[in-house]
Amino acid sequence: MSLSHTKDSSFLGGRIPPEIESLSKNLKDVDQELFRKILKAVVGALEGKDCTEVMKSIAESSPIPQERLSHIVAGMYRLLSEAIRIPTSSLKQEVFKEDLRELRVPDDFITDFSSVVFGNRRAALEAATSQNDPHLPTVEDFKWRVDVAISTSSLARALQPSVLMQMKLSDGTSQRFEVPVSKFQELRYNVALILKEMNDLEKRSILQIQD
Amino acid sequence: MTSIIKETQSIKEAVTFINAIDVNKFSRLISRIIQKLHLKGERTFSEEEEEKLQAALSLEKQALHLVLETSAFILEQAVYHNVKPASLQQQLEAVHLNPDKAEMFSQTWATAGPELVERLKHNIFAPKKLEFVGWQLNLQMAQSSKARLKSPSAVLQLGLRSEDSEVQENVFVEFNHQELLEFYNKLEIVQGQLDSLT
Repeated sequence: MSLSHTKDSSFLGGRIPPEIESLSKNLKDVDQELFRKILKAVVGALEGKDCTEVMKSIAESSPIPQERLSHIVAGMYRLLSEAIRIPTSSLKQEVFKEDLRELRVPDDFITDFSSVVFGNRRAALEAATSQNDPHLPTVEDFKWRVDVAISTSSLARALQPSVLMQMKLSDGTSQRFEVPVSKFQELRYNVALILKEMNDLEKRSILQIQD
Repeated sequence: MTSIIKETQSIKEAVTFINAIDVNKFSRLISRIIQKLHLKGERTFSEEEEEKLQAALSLEKQALHLVLETSAFILEQAVYHNVKPASLQQQLEAVHLNPDKAEMFSQTWATAGPELVERLKHNIFAPKKLEFVGWQLNLQMAQSSKARLKSPSAVLQLGLRSEDSEVQENVFVEFNHQELLEFYNKLEIVQGQLDSLT
């Protein structure tokens, strides 16, 4: 029995998106030079760059009709974004290449695709694509001060310590607030508690299972 | 010991009015004043209440204001210098307040004073104060750009209250493991500073 019959479904899942299904057909007569130009533009788009100029020049300088070109771009973009979603621990290079072979993508192009997904630009691509994902603000900058109020307008001798915190968040907002010593202890205790729970969580077997 | 109440003309006037007021009525008045002393800018008595007081104490509007302001002033001075009740009594008698009134001031101060001082010590000077800490630990499984994650993520809820408002503003901040660890290390440094104060 041939190995290919026992292989799991492609990294793209059970249903292959139409733009990827038709990719091999659309890539007929596309030489490597043109392919690499398009690939470069698509990678730029994934990184968040504006590619209108590049795409215009490709469209003008190539014999491929514009409609077919846009299908090719769509297919390549979709293929790469789906591949980058999956962590490298789950999707190995060999399996990726095998899946592309099953889609009848020419070998040279498979190598080029592979070098994008598994090359050293991978981390930058991941960082760029995850920027659009929804998330709560994170702390970008955290400054603090410990004060002791010696005297106030109401009390000649106050001698009360307090903590002043300033947090700059990733959404651009800044919060400055005072933390009474008792609340500070509560904050510190809770953060330590979360860290302990995180450690416990990471040790549990559910996280060790490879998928 | 420097006297906390100097016998100015207005004090002399106020003392005359105060001495004429019935002790029990005055006692209730002082209790109410000291209760509201920590709230800056708020009137102790509403317009209506003041009118009733004018009638009850047989005082003209201006005289009533003088009595209320002077009583508040005496108590504010007591708080500021954190005087002992006995000393307060002595000083009030020195400005010719009747012994029964002076004793009454002193007693009210002895009962309600310490709590007031504590409350004022904790009065905030910064625009906002941290009042509430809540959190949630999540295990993020995936997002639009990333599948098969299994990454722990903590959300910290900080409830901040502005000085002059009852409403709490909630700030939600997210941390991954590394970020939370870095935050904790900074909190430890702050703790070290607080410890060095004692």
